[in-house]
Amino acid sequence: MSLLSITRYSALSLVFLLNAPIAAAEISQERWLKLNQAAVNEHILPSYNALAEKSKTLAMASASLCAAPSEENLRNAEAHFIDTLNAWQGIQHVQFGPIELLMRNFTIQFWPDKKNLTSKQLNIILKNQDPASLEPEFFRTASIAVKGLPAMERILFADDALKQIEENPYRCQFLQSVSDYLVIQTDNTNKEWQEYKQEFSTLISEEGIYENAQEASIDIMKAQVEPLEVIRDLKILRPLGNKGKAKARRLESWRSKNALQNIQMNIQSLHHLYSGLKDYNLFQLLKEEGANDLADSIEQQFITIETTLGKIPTPLSLHLKEPKVKEQLLLIAQELKQLHESLDKTMPALGLQLGFNSRDGD
Amino acid sequence: MTGISRREFSLLLGCSLLSPSLLANGKQSLFASAAKASNGAYELLVIDQAGRLHLRHELPARAHHIAAHPHKPLLAAVGRRPEIFIDVVNYKTKQLETRIRSAQGQHFYGHAIYSADGRWLISTENEIATGQGLIVIRDALHNYAVVQQFSSAGIGPHELKMMADGNTLVVANGGILTHPDQGRAKLNIDVMRPSLAYIDIKTGQLKEQVFMPEEYHQLSIRHFDINQTGRVVIGLQYQGDKTDDVPLVAFHTQGQPLALVRAPISTNMAMKQYCGSARFDKSGKVAAISAPRGNLITFWHADTQQFITSTTSRDGCGLAQTEKPEEFLISTGRGYCYRYNCQTQSKHKIKLNIPVQTAWDNHMSKILA
Repeated sequence: MSLLSITRYSALSLVFLLNAPIAAAEISQERWLKLNQAAVNEHILPSYNALAEKSKTLAMASASLCAAPSEENLRNAEAHFIDTLNAWQGIQHVQFGPIELLMRNFTIQFWPDKKNLTSKQLNIILKNQDPASLEPEFFRTASIAVKGLPAMERILFADDALKQIEENPYRCQFLQSVSDYLVIQTDNTNKEWQEYKQEFSTLISEEGIYENAQEASIDIMKAQVEPLEVIRDLKILRPLGNKGKAKARRLESWRSKNALQNIQMNIQSLHHLYSGLKDYNLFQLLKEEGANDLADSIEQQFITIETTLGKIPTPLSLHLKEPKVKEQLLLIAQELKQLHESLDKTMPALGLQLGFNSRDGD
Repeated sequence: MTGISRREFSLLLGCSLLSPSLLANGKQSLFASAAKASNGAYELLVIDQAGRLHLRHELPARAHHIAAHPHKPLLAAVGRRPEIFIDVVNYKTKQLETRIRSAQGQHFYGHAIYSADGRWLISTENEIATGQGLIVIRDALHNYAVVQQFSSAGIGPHELKMMADGNTLVVANGGILTHPDQGRAKLNIDVMRPSLAYIDIKTGQLKEQVFMPEEYHQLSIRHFDINQTGRVVIGLQYQGDKTDDVPLVAFHTQGQPLALVRAPISTNMAMKQYCGSARFDKSGKVAAISAPRGNLITFWHADTQQFITSTTSRDGCGLAQTEKPEEFLISTGRGYCYRYNCQTQSKHKIKLNIPVQTAWDNHMSKILA
């Protein structure tokens, strides 16, 4: 921190202390702005760019598969599907901005799908073989269950996927159409962020979405904290079942055998957002605020979770019922809960409130 | 002081039919809401449409809904579950008129209304020992002495409203059992049975009650509004499995079954199983339902029950009708207020002139000043 900003900061906190009896520190808008800029430039923009690029490669691989169905082309398309899925898992935690528009987040991945809507609706489409269902126009109004990654996964990772594609080329054509639609979604999200990033580049704004830099930081902090509960409850505890009866089909991406890697991508990305941003990050900010122990503890918790995840055998869907694996997953669930609590603790320390009506309504 | 007898109360209720909107024709609207200031203080705030502050009153604890007196400058800020206060504040003199305390063994649920003539303050309360919901009537002319109380016909009564006849009270029995000793913990999720009850205010007699169908018994009926034709719109809160895809809005008309409706699936999912507030617009043709967990406000046709559109609003929860049809005032936990026109889908941020950043609480109430 430069001498100038120290002086400015002290002056601000003095004024603040005189005016309002709050324990929390007053962090300048300049510092929130710095945090926002780092998160957007080093984390969000590259992640959306990667997702758009991976989607394009996947669309090409799908086209190749349809043009010449072969074991090799199927494996290639599957590999690019996994790349795209991983890229999505690396940015799934961001639920604000262009991804919210037209419910793109649900379109890209409709999950959890308790009633198996994707299979039901996909099967109808594949049976009817209506050429109109391959057109962009169809996708504009089609159910979100059939126009994203889960629909593609069902075609690519079906038993006898190649044989089925050979027997019914429409399967591949639909795969290609979904793939092309995914490119539109991810590419538009990526492009729109080039403009939306302006919302994170102002200290104070009259006309913008956020009144000031601190408010923009709240959205980033929500992306940092809230997914931990989703990972724990939906990706880990729900497949484990409540009466000790594990259900592998409740795992996210069990068909592509990517359930564990999904979680690893999520945690890796959240860890990166916390302390991996080079220019400025939450870890640094906490240290500057004197919350040394908390900052270090959170860092350590991320590492512990990553280590525990690394010990679990893959594919998770085949090992889920093993007592040792269950034990490891329960441990991770516990660790995620602790991490969530630790991150929650940082919010009052930073003078932030993630949600009032949304978190403590009645 | 006992004020008046129960018999007298029944007789007096007969003259409560005067409509408040007739009394305040042509005057400017004010908006009242509970709030939390950035220094942690809980407050009652009143602003006008231009965002100017008219009242800032510090409350003993967190409040929920603000009941406006139909013709006096009085506001009743109701403590939220399990608080035991209602602050009655004069927003002209800016004085606290009365701090009502709930009776021993009872607490408030955050909602109260004045009768149409302003004589009675009617609140939902919990009889802690039995967990049964109560409707409690206090006399505004006799220092809010309790004149009557009776069953709400369910557990966890929350919002309440009067039908246009001035005699039929509608109560949302949320169904969730809580006990102050266990904070806000929900104690009966497996067996909860939410309902909407129509009660004769004079006799306390139940006139009609509609229950959630068994398969949706964990859909808590919490907040609702009634339009000019007696149509009820309800915002629901789901207590079941996080992955369940359930309807989150309901409509009801007396004598008919409850109609559960849902937004298109992606919007329904984005609402995150939780509605915070329900209000009709001035025309009564369009209803707004806030979903603060999903950062969404959704809009619905009263007649067709169809979903119209939604708008993003971060931590947006409080809703009030404005003087224009299809226009709503939206308040948020982040401290902002907007005017949103459902027809033009235009949103206008109100420039608030408030000294500190303030998180707007659950409900916004329109006052005809």
